[in-house]
Amino acid sequence: MAQTAREDPAGDRGHEDDDSDRESLTAFLDRARVFLAGAPEVGRRSETTGLARSEAGDGERVGDGDGGQRASRPPLVWGEGSDEVNLLPEHSPEEDERIVAAARRFKAAEYAAGFGWIDGPTEYGGAGLPVSYLDAYLDLRGQYDVPDLAVFGLGLGMISPTLLAHGSESAKRIYLPRLHAGEAIGCQLFSEPGAGSDLASLRTRAVRDGDEWVITGQKVWTTNGHLSDVGEVLCRTSPEAPKHRGITAFLVDMHAPGVEVRPLRQMTGGASFNEVFLTEVRVPDENRLGAVDDGWRVATTTLMNERSTASDLGGSLAAILDRLIMLARWSGRLADPVVRDRLSDTVMHVRLAGYATERAHLARTAGTPGPEHSVGKLVWTNNLRRISDLLTDILGPRLIADTGEWGTFAWTTLVLGVPGIRVSAGTDEIMKNILAERVLGLPREPSPARTTSAPGGNGKDGNV
Amino acid sequence: MSDDAAAERRELRDTARRFLAERSSEQDVRRLMDGPGHDPALWELMGRDLGWQGLAIPDAHGGAGYGWDELVIVFEEMGRALLGAPFLATVALAAGALLESGDVEAQARYLPDLAAGRVVATLAAAGDDGLPDLEAVGVRATRAAQDGWRLTGRVPFVLDGQHAALVLLPARTPDGVTLFAVDVPGAGVEVTALETLDLTRGLAVVRVDDTPARQVGRSGDGARIVGRALEFGSVALAAEQTGGAARCLDMAVGYARTREQFGRPIGSFQAVKHICADIFVAVEAARSALFEATRQANRHVAGAAAELSAAAHLAQAICSESFVHAATANIQVHGGIGFTWEHPAHLYFRRARSSEILLGTPAHHRREYARLLGLAA
Repeated sequence: MAQTAREDPAGDRGHEDDDSDRESLTAFLDRARVFLAGAPEVGRRSETTGLARSEAGDGERVGDGDGGQRASRPPLVWGEGSDEVNLLPEHSPEEDERIVAAARRFKAAEYAAGFGWIDGPTEYGGAGLPVSYLDAYLDLRGQYDVPDLAVFGLGLGMISPTLLAHGSESAKRIYLPRLHAGEAIGCQLFSEPGAGSDLASLRTRAVRDGDEWVITGQKVWTTNGHLSDVGEVLCRTSPEAPKHRGITAFLVDMHAPGVEVRPLRQMTGGASFNEVFLTEVRVPDENRLGAVDDGWRVATTTLMNERSTASDLGGSLAAILDRLIMLARWSGRLADPVVRDRLSDTVMHVRLAGYATERAHLARTAGTPGPEHSVGKLVWTNNLRRISDLLTDILGPRLIADTGEWGTFAWTTLVLGVPGIRVSAGTDEIMKNILAERVLGLPREPSPARTTSAPGGNGKDGNV
Repeated sequence: MSDDAAAERRELRDTARRFLAERSSEQDVRRLMDGPGHDPALWELMGRDLGWQGLAIPDAHGGAGYGWDELVIVFEEMGRALLGAPFLATVALAAGALLESGDVEAQARYLPDLAAGRVVATLAAAGDDGLPDLEAVGVRATRAAQDGWRLTGRVPFVLDGQHAALVLLPARTPDGVTLFAVDVPGAGVEVTALETLDLTRGLAVVRVDDTPARQVGRSGDGARIVGRALEFGSVALAAEQTGGAARCLDMAVGYARTREQFGRPIGSFQAVKHICADIFVAVEAARSALFEATRQANRHVAGAAAELSAAAHLAQAICSESFVHAATANIQVHGGIGFTWEHPAHLYFRRARSSEILLGTPAHHRREYARLLGLAA
């Protein structure tokens, strides 16, 4: 998602000061208005909500942050429209096809009009404008009914900044424009069946063969794997080295021979993720990200961006909250002072997430990013847990059996999705380790692997 | 926010932290809690040399004319340092009520003394359950023969009542609840200090018996003024709570880094790390709540449309929860030493438990918040 490009840690946007003949913000926004008014797919709202990875956060990121209705969100009317409340995209192949087609058409037009990568460097297809222009554009775009662009989230939010920081010149020239023009959908091939929280113990192998690498292994929990054109894959290149020092990152063409993507059915019953089997997949050396055996640093760039994304989503429960309040009113359960008390508490905490996002935004504008991002995921999952618990008291038996009433049993998808959110993108416990070690400066847990094979430490750790 | 304003606020925070580290050290805090409760010389110094009492009082009344952004910084730092001083009562509640009253004469009479640190003031509005019961105010006002009003009644739980020379209190009149000012000492005024859970903060019962009083604000406007003053108090208290919670986090983390058990710092164990991370999350929640409350207080003072009531209730509910969490977890991280009288952890715990009730319990604030959201049955 484009908003995360703002937090690009590579810092490849030294365009803030050379403003001699730059288009004025007013002229830029006038041009953006003209574009958005005539852009393809705009004005036709996609039916799915896809809140987890959608751009729902954009409309709420700036402004009241209080879950109030924005122009971008159609007013909720009880009993009308879809009652689906899903944290994870679980689309049928037909829905996927429709969503992806609409997203690609819009993104291509946006890129062609010069709004696809506003703060990106011009040599790789960006517009070279200050991040304030991007912010202003996203605010403006939030007022239009643009398609669900969630499918680009990983490519734009994580792979693009990683590529910018660590990619070869040719890979940057090939992939960055494609990612930002909506031509290439990206995925992240990190987790493995045997490497979850301890990601550095991954075993997918990459072996050099002339100018190419040959990759074999299995990845899991790959969001959008089945829709992707390009994946960032972490591979073991030096099995004898300490585990953090024998990893190399590559960009892999997801259509290459030897790449097999299978849907992974999750506890909700749907499939939001994939397993990806890599069998002697050949990757050119230009697609290597960073130096050989330096992939851990590359992964860190990607994961830091993932966490920024997750924390921006901390504010994005506003739409779900509106629905919850409507449900509470409809149910008549507000007569119970206990339910009222807990709903009040939940509303407060969800709105707090919005205030936190505003604080983070101000800190970033002032050039002093705070630790808010690291907290975002925990705030998000804590709020989801509050909502899940409250649903039990509000819905009662309607949560365990479908009476056919609109907006009741549909909440089961959310309740079943929450445990997945708590373990995804770094489990809550790993996030707490990161907070404790990186922000609070508490000592690392002695790790046998690190102490025996990586004497002296190297500033990396097992908790990225 | 301009760069100048940001730099000025940073400087204010640094100054406040340095000054309070020196003048409200643990030793000072313990000295005050064992004896006088507050140090009048320090009070005068803060008013005269630092200008803290008058920070958000308009220039016309002897203040510095800043806003809540600055005031909140000072409250936060005082909360960190557990300063024993009637600052919340004087600056947030009493000055807040005077400013909200719109009574220019009363403002001119009282605010310059408050701003300069010459007078300690408080607002006596709590009912028997600790909350202001503006429907059934326990004080009755009768018109005196010539010179104004006489008050008779009793108010429990008056913040820093034993230190105050000026007590503002709402009383029943034929025109409805109206705010009055009473000088202490004065005829028929009796102030009794209470034993308190929080040893660093005073609470007293104020009794008035045919006591002369001056009206503040319009007749029948007392409930509104007091309601607003309590919202200012809520924002200020939230700042104190945030500062206190942040200090507890620092204490817990500092101890977890250095205390060794099983041959390594306890902070290297995930069980302890996670306690600390949870405190951090709680402190961040408090900061976000305070951010919104400060913004709304500023908007209200500027005469703009504001949602101060909702923001004040949210700040009290959240900052109370955060501070209690932080103070409790801090003791847990410290283990046995944290349960001793000598260790300061209990002083913060006492402050946290007391603060969460002082201006209404968390349940009260959640109930009012729900009411403002229209979440009634």
